[in-house]
Amino acid sequence: MAALELRSVSKAFKASKVLDSVSLAAEEGEIVCVFGPSGSGKTVLLRLIAGVEQADEGSIMLEGRDVTDTAPEARGVGMAFQNFALFPHMSAFDNVASALTARRASPEAIRGKVEKIARLLKIGHVLEHAPRELSNGQKQRTALARALVADPKILLLDDPLRNVDAKLRYEMRLELPALLRTSGSTVLYVTQDYKEAMALGDRIAVLLDGGVAQVAKPADIYREPATLGVARLFGDPAINLVPVQPLASPSGPKIGIGGASLSLPASYAHAIGKRCMLGLRPESLAVEAQPSQESFDVDLVAATPLNEKTLLLLRTADGRELLASEPNADEAPRRHGPAFARFDANAVLLFDAANGRRIAPQSA
Amino acid sequence: MADIALSLTKVDKIYQRRGKPPVHAVKSLDMAVERGEIIALLGSSGCGKTSTLRMIAGFEAVSNGDIVLADRRIDQLPPARRGVAMAFEGYSLYPPLTVRDNIAFALKSARLSAKDVEKRVAEISRLVEIEEILDRYPSSISGGQQQRASLARALVRRADLYLLDEPMGQLEPQLRAVLRGRLKSLLVERRMTSIFVTHDQTEANALADRIAVMEAGVLQQFASQKELRDRPANLFVATFVGEPPMNVFEAAVENGERLRFKVTAGPTFDFASSEIPLPVRQAIGGRERAVVGVRPHAIRLGGGLNEARIVSNQWLGDQSHLAMDVAGKLLVAVSHKPIAAKAGEKIRYDAAAADLHVFDAATEAAVSHGLETA
Amino acid sequence: MESTSFIERILRGAALSLIVIFFLFPIFWILLMSFQTNEEILRIPPSLFFTPTLSNYAALITGKLATVSGTLDIAFMKNLWNSVLLSTASVAIALALGVPAAYAFARFKFRLGEDIAFTLLSFRFAPPLLVLLPLSLYFQALGLTDTYVGLIWVYQLIALPLILWIVRGYFEDISPDIEHAYRVAGHSWGRTFLRIAIPLARPGIAAAGLLAFIFCWNNFVFALILASADKQPVTVGALAFVTASGIQYGQIAAAIVLSVTPTLALALYAQRYLVEGLSLGAVKG
Repeated sequence: MAALELRSVSKAFKASKVLDSVSLAAEEGEIVCVFGPSGSGKTVLLRLIAGVEQADEGSIMLEGRDVTDTAPEARGVGMAFQNFALFPHMSAFDNVASALTARRASPEAIRGKVEKIARLLKIGHVLEHAPRELSNGQKQRTALARALVADPKILLLDDPLRNVDAKLRYEMRLELPALLRTSGSTVLYVTQDYKEAMALGDRIAVLLDGGVAQVAKPADIYREPATLGVARLFGDPAINLVPVQPLASPSGPKIGIGGASLSLPASYAHAIGKRCMLGLRPESLAVEAQPSQESFDVDLVAATPLNEKTLLLLRTADGRELLASEPNADEAPRRHGPAFARFDANAVLLFDAANGRRIAPQSA
Repeated sequence: MADIALSLTKVDKIYQRRGKPPVHAVKSLDMAVERGEIIALLGSSGCGKTSTLRMIAGFEAVSNGDIVLADRRIDQLPPARRGVAMAFEGYSLYPPLTVRDNIAFALKSARLSAKDVEKRVAEISRLVEIEEILDRYPSSISGGQQQRASLARALVRRADLYLLDEPMGQLEPQLRAVLRGRLKSLLVERRMTSIFVTHDQTEANALADRIAVMEAGVLQQFASQKELRDRPANLFVATFVGEPPMNVFEAAVENGERLRFKVTAGPTFDFASSEIPLPVRQAIGGRERAVVGVRPHAIRLGGGLNEARIVSNQWLGDQSHLAMDVAGKLLVAVSHKPIAAKAGEKIRYDAAAADLHVFDAATEAAVSHGLETA
Repeated sequence: MESTSFIERILRGAALSLIVIFFLFPIFWILLMSFQTNEEILRIPPSLFFTPTLSNYAALITGKLATVSGTLDIAFMKNLWNSVLLSTASVAIALALGVPAAYAFARFKFRLGEDIAFTLLSFRFAPPLLVLLPLSLYFQALGLTDTYVGLIWVYQLIALPLILWIVRGYFEDISPDIEHAYRVAGHSWGRTFLRIAIPLARPGIAAAGLLAFIFCWNNFVFALILASADKQPVTVGALAFVTASGIQYGQIAAAIVLSVTPTLALALYAQRYLVEGLSLGAVKG
């Protein structure tokens, strides 16, 4: 029995359908990251589960119990909101305790539990402060404490790190998995940062255009995205996409980029003749000063160094822009001008241009 | 002498507040920007970077000091006569005008011919990909599009200096990397001297020739990305610049036969003195305590003197982030290959002498970077 | 730099003084008049110097108005009491009805919701006189003419729309997530309204209550037509000072001072709730 299960849930606001027959299940103790671009309905999904919005169709099961028509206070879930949603007229302590007062616990028991979770989240020293006296990071931790304090079976986290600064976000990204595991809750974690989703999720559910595009383990999604849409969402910078039409040749399938004819692995023979999109991850694209067997001509337009890698903006002979990334080397900076690009043929992704689905390589 | 486009000399900004102590937002800032240079003002919120930008633009009065742009002293001039173009963080597009008219506004007031205006608007809108929305009104386009329109409006003008306040903060992530590349290529090609404010170091690294790191109103370091990464001037810069930030620990120092840094309940970094150049050993000298730092990318995993428990191991598609529980803090290591280790297991690690940064424990100023003195 | 800011300061001071004099002078003059006899008030030219007298206040409090043609009985203190009673009761009822209604309009989308809200507001569009004629006929038929209940009911026309629309705006400004968070924490809808929504909208409720009170207090025509001397508030009662033997300026001034006092006191008291920036720091933004 899944701890949480959505069965063909739909939700529309006025004329626009935000969620269209979404089904999703999470096992007990699992962390499922719900990831998608803004406006893809992630937050709505969470709100439906919390009960603060009502689904138009479908049913929501929590631990085998149908809660579709249950009031939010009776669902027994914990939730942290993206904007924190702290009660401004209550101290941090009362904010956290609010999840316990409703359950008629004794004052000593409440104090004990609040202080325990506060210690874990390092907000013990600010419990008597009002929300407006807290820093952003402390607000975020208070909101998290409020969601966690009653040991909910289901924990819903709506992009909890979005509104804290980069450094804290990074630290929390490393600490959260352990914290969530100790709570034992089944977690649905909404984020629009693919790195956060990959770092935190046991599995990732990619929400796109109101539907679930793919549910899989993080590494699998990155390596084998189900569709073009999913591929574009994972990776920073985003994957390069080039329309191609593989052609047959004696040495296997060939594609043309910027006038050059380049080889694809033989396992893509079944894609010959199809109109396709070639997906090239920037890290699988190498830029060299000398031409080689499988290289094609590019113009190096700009080199933008990031922390530990450098991004190269390339323009192909037919005016297409490609991004390549390479680990920083201590050699002299890249010169703008003509260069030669080469891709790792085994790391390419191929998508059907007609429906956007990935064309998996087939072993002969 | 280098060709200086903009110089700030001993610039202060003090905000007087009724009934409260004044706030010293910018403290004695000295900065010289060369013609055609791209500068990033990097810092967290409240560090003084936006006040600095607004003083240069003329929206804030300078409390003390001079600002000179293209050999003219500008700090007392009204904004319109300073010769600067600015893109605002809040976009500030004129709501009753279409995107096209917004962009063309300054060109028309500069009495350019209609044909020139047309050409320049078309060119800049292709660059930031807003050709399709040129005839729409600001209220009907998304935040990311408004930001691109605002950027276009600033870049389309001819000015001695371009000021960009968080130019990419709201951009769609899929577009950001490409736009950064195009923006940089435009700025370089036209030799447009520009200063942009950002809190995002990825953006600062990607675009800027030099980065001014600010904190608490003070310019901490003004240098290239490589310099900031390899030779941070103090502990603040070391832990602020870098993603993930540098791991730092306070350690007991032994500087004799061997150079040894011992962190309480944490790692020991131990080297034969012969490995370390004399000037570095002299700089470290007889101090008993120091702060040592190692960049996450420089942590060597799978061997060495030290062992720690893994807190988390996260594979992000093109890199792996490993966090270890060390001396009550997290020690982070990054690798471009997946690391086969699970949370809860122990792992051995070490760092090379060339990757060790040493800071004074009291002043937090850098003492040495690897095999060089600070 | 220094000199311009100095001139600026002087100009600003002068402008402010002008505005203050323009608005406060009449009130100041009324206050002076209330301590003068009718003869002193009517003397030409008027003077700031006079012997203060409490006779105006004494006349109001004892209810004996001495005029040239004899002593007249007036019910000023009764009128004042009527004002307090009518305004307080009206505002209390309007708050009890209007705050939950405002919450409903702010939070729930229901059929005809906007239309109902607008209809309630439209009561304020019609000139009172237009409504009054039919209303007085109804009231006679219902036996509500000249009763407190009848007046309080009519005063809802003033107070209810005001409270409804002002408080609604305040409820709409509270992030719904704050209420959602309280419900997900396990609290019922009713508790959420009482513990979260009302405390957070308190500045708005205070402002709306105060405004409604002032409007009720200052109302004239409703009570003039629908009530007799016995139930009339000060605004109508003041007419008694226009006597056959002339207008009693001194007493009118004293009556004004007395009738302004309660609203002024209330406003000063409510001020602290008005400026309370409660929602600060509630959500990130």
